[in-house]
Amino acid sequence: MCLAIPGKIISIKKQNATVDFRGIKKEVDISLVSAKPGDYVVVHTGFAVGKLDKKSANESYKYFDEYIKTKHGKNT
Amino acid sequence: MNPTNTLMNISKQNTEKILDEIKKLAKSIGRETRLMGLCGTHSQTIAQYGLKNLLPRNIKLVAGPGCPVCVTAREDIDAVIGLALAGMPLAVYGDTLAVPGSTESLENARQKGADIKIIYSIKEALKEQKIKPDLVFFGVGFETTAPMTAWAIKQGLRVYSAHKFFPPAMAALLKNKKIKIDGLIDPGHVSAIIGESPYKKFEIPQVITGFEPEDVLMAVLMLLNQIAEGKRDLENEYGRVVKKNGNEKAVNLINEVFEQCDAEWRGIGLIKNSGMKIRKKYSACDAKIKYRRTIAEILSRTKTKKTACRCGEILQGLIEPNQCPLFKKICAPENPFGACMVSIEGTCNIEYKYAR
Amino acid sequence: MRAKKQNNDTIELDHGGGGYKSWELIEEIRGNMADSRRLAKKWQNCEDDAAVYNLGKQKLVFTTDAFIIDPIFFPSGDIGKIAACGTINDLAVMGAKPIGLSLSIVIEEGFSKKDLLKIIRSINNVSKESGVPIVTGDTKVTEKGKLDKIEITTAGVGLAGKIIENKGIETGDLIIASGDLGEHGIALLSQRFNCKSKIKSDCKPLNKEIGSVASYLHSCKDPTRGGLAANLYEMAEKSGARIILEEKKLPYKKEAFALAELLGIDIFSLPSEGRFIAAVSEGDAEKTLKILKKNNPEAKIIGRAEKASNKNSGVFLKTSIGGIREIEMPRGKLIPRIC
Repeated sequence: MCLAIPGKIISIKKQNATVDFRGIKKEVDISLVSAKPGDYVVVHTGFAVGKLDKKSANESYKYFDEYIKTKHGKNT
Repeated sequence: MNPTNTLMNISKQNTEKILDEIKKLAKSIGRETRLMGLCGTHSQTIAQYGLKNLLPRNIKLVAGPGCPVCVTAREDIDAVIGLALAGMPLAVYGDTLAVPGSTESLENARQKGADIKIIYSIKEALKEQKIKPDLVFFGVGFETTAPMTAWAIKQGLRVYSAHKFFPPAMAALLKNKKIKIDGLIDPGHVSAIIGESPYKKFEIPQVITGFEPEDVLMAVLMLLNQIAEGKRDLENEYGRVVKKNGNEKAVNLINEVFEQCDAEWRGIGLIKNSGMKIRKKYSACDAKIKYRRTIAEILSRTKTKKTACRCGEILQGLIEPNQCPLFKKICAPENPFGACMVSIEGTCNIEYKYAR
Repeated sequence: MRAKKQNNDTIELDHGGGGYKSWELIEEIRGNMADSRRLAKKWQNCEDDAAVYNLGKQKLVFTTDAFIIDPIFFPSGDIGKIAACGTINDLAVMGAKPIGLSLSIVIEEGFSKKDLLKIIRSINNVSKESGVPIVTGDTKVTEKGKLDKIEITTAGVGLAGKIIENKGIETGDLIIASGDLGEHGIALLSQRFNCKSKIKSDCKPLNKEIGSVASYLHSCKDPTRGGLAANLYEMAEKSGARIILEEKKLPYKKEAFALAELLGIDIFSLPSEGRFIAAVSEGDAEKTLKILKKNNPEAKIIGRAEKASNKNSGVFLKTSIGGIREIEMPRGKLIPRIC
């Protein structure tokens, strides 16, 4: 129900950040998150609503790996 | 539809692995199992990737009321159209333009000359208000969108609030004995705001998930696993975005500007404490107060026709779109009768586009 | 199956959007021109991008288009450039060599003369690039408020040996895109919603590019209004073909995907003003691509045509996880959304 897409913060000026969405750069309000340049934020209607933890971007596989280990006692 | 949400690469191999495990669990469960995708954006992913057809026959994915445009009360649409036709400039999100009120939509009003500006960000509404001091912003959306409206109200934007809290609708759904659901796929971005705790009171298997097809399939797997083991837990598959405590700044902003009120959900009825009403402190920004008399007069004039539209039952997963007598015969995206057909996330809209 | 048509008393913006409603309006307009249609017996392809008159050894190809756009100046183009390219390209996709254009301009009182001459110079540049002259024209001025700045109509004539018809797709044909699509749409939307990107409008004349491969093309269109969805759909419907595109081979830059997702609009509706999509036989595909890549290294094969029964013709997408779904005809204006 909420279109929100991730982008990378390039620079910050007060409450506004220039965010790069795979080549499209847009000003995004970051007053709802604590973020720094280099962070990835998830953006809805021009505001960052949360941060994307890039390290855990593959987390759905982590869940799957854990499920398999628990269920079948082996690695995928 | 390209993987932008997670920076993951969609891989057929991964989906096949997850599907294999789903098939094993579905077989061991045996009986028909109904999982409700609460969020319209999840329904989009399910439709765009044809996920329903990839699942075993006894696993049913049902859509829920997570389409804020679809559940906005007819009276709210009528009131806002009335304000626009009475000369008030409006700023709206694009989704609301084609939603039919009792007799017409905002788009119809625009064609008659009403000043209606479509915006992407609420900051455009603030900018517009500087040139048009009478501007009213039509606030629609759940907890993901409400913080922006709250922020803008603090900057002085005048708002007609039709915003809603989502968990009360979940509570109402689960209380309705006619609705048979075995597990819930919880909304990804609403959860990014409210965190995990609002869901803990629901005694049903739940998984918060993201918007890639692998996310949704993983959620199905995790729900089936719980069902097979008789569990009723809340799991978070979208941990890369959704933190346990959510976004406290956003929640505080909502609570600072809005208070709970009872609200009408189109097709479903009144749900207690589900509406966001602008607090007294900000009443100068409340269009419902400033234009109280105009709105009352508009609503007294509006005649609501009884139609055969069954959006309400569709939103609660009670029936499928093809069980509505209007679906495809009269009601279609280019000529929508009900809100479920208007919104890109509406169940009927999705079914119409993707069911071939 | 489509629902019953709404009875419209007034013309709506969606009627000009290039989707279903535009088609319905055009059908209704044609339906009210029975006498004219009777007299046009010697003209063919009147429902394609241009009409064709058989002169014996050659065919005369004739088309027209009107342009009201906002903004009138955009990254790497303006209304003049689009107006000239639009008509040249409508002739080119039919397989014709454009030989001359007419230029009709209606200007709102108070319009900047500097802007007008800038637009005229753009048209002159297109003429130079394409080799197609403007040979006749007209200008009118209306009172302030009776028109939004400027409107341009161009008409064009060309000569063709073989006509490339919309309905020419054959079973087994491959579908080629002459480059990445939607960049004109991206440029305009970026400007409207304050986004910056490297993407500029793709507007350019296509007569020489199409001319270099015309003998291989079974069907051809430039995906302007309505984008890939509307134009490929039209080719598929007229040909009775079922076109399958592959998600991995979609001809869009990552910026196009990002902007479409950011604003919540359908990527397949994004217009291009200097690209074409075509159907060629499998045997000719490599040759065609080799020639096209000299102009644009991004030219690529994006799908294939299968035989269709009436019920399942259309355009479909094979997703990266193996499912198939239809790419629907766009409904109207591109509007951003929150859900």
